[in-house]
Amino acid sequence: MSASALAPAIAKEQPRNLAMRLADPAATLAYLSLLFGLLLVLFPVSFPRLIVENWQNARLTPIMILFTVSVNLGLYLTVAHQRSAKPGIAASACLGSVPVFVLAGLNFVLQATIVHTFSSSVPNASLRVDEEILAHTYFSMIAAIFAPFLIIRFTQQFKKTDA
Amino acid sequence: MLAFEIFALTADWMAAKWLLWIALYLIFGLFLPWAMTSAWTSQHGSPMKPDLKQLFQNGELGLVSLMLSISVIWDLQRSQYSSYTIALGSVFLALTGMMAGSVWIESYCRRSTGIRFRPERAWRDSRNLALLVFSLALVTEILLDRFVKAAL
Repeated sequence: MSASALAPAIAKEQPRNLAMRLADPAATLAYLSLLFGLLLVLFPVSFPRLIVENWQNARLTPIMILFTVSVNLGLYLTVAHQRSAKPGIAASACLGSVPVFVLAGLNFVLQATIVHTFSSSVPNASLRVDEEILAHTYFSMIAAIFAPFLIIRFTQQFKKTDA
Repeated sequence: MLAFEIFALTADWMAAKWLLWIALYLIFGLFLPWAMTSAWTSQHGSPMKPDLKQLFQNGELGLVSLMLSISVIWDLQRSQYSSYTIALGSVFLALTGMMAGSVWIESYCRRSTGIRFRPERAWRDSRNLALLVFSLALVTEILLDRFVKAAL
């Protein structure tokens, strides 16, 4: 076969850019969410205490950043492998950076919430704060995993891919 | 410590309103439409064997998810959580609900305009997003249940 005949064949075999759909990370995120709920039901005392203690020692946010970035990149690469598509640099950067901004930002919001709860002299303020930390941790985890994929999906929509 | 954990676990299960909540949504959202379809086919002597995939193949689960997220946002708004937590939870429930609902909208638009429509993709997308909305809603109800007990 001549070189001119090989060129189109090679060009055809180059992997296309990966187009994500929100349903791709949705199932994994749902299982993570169910696992959180299951831990909450099976260990109603020790699991929340573990989260609150880690938040008080300022370890919770770095752990969550590490966890969510790993989950995001793992999900993205798994989908790329399944579809034999090429992962994009911009999407990978988004998956690595957005969870950091989301979790750091929401941590400031949580601190404001706690100050507000303690200053408003409500009954059982300490217990309420523990529950606020628990709820905040859960919603932050969901936000840090879901938000980058949402941004990637909308960016794809602007590029008019047929995903 | 273990005894306290077991006591808390038992007390939680006994007073868990979220169990009733799951049962209501599973019965009225999934089981009832399937049972009504089965009843209709047997009444009319049709050989069709309806399953959930066929019943919701046009992304209808996305619409069910949107309704589910609205009901949980309503519960969250009525709770005594701080306004920040309520806003955060509501925004993410609304976003996931809308994304699930958009699967049904997209498949409706594709079917109506004759643009390439793949029922298996609509089913897969709506099923995954419905599972996400359901799990989010379930854990939110568990958290609300815990908060009510803590705030007493």
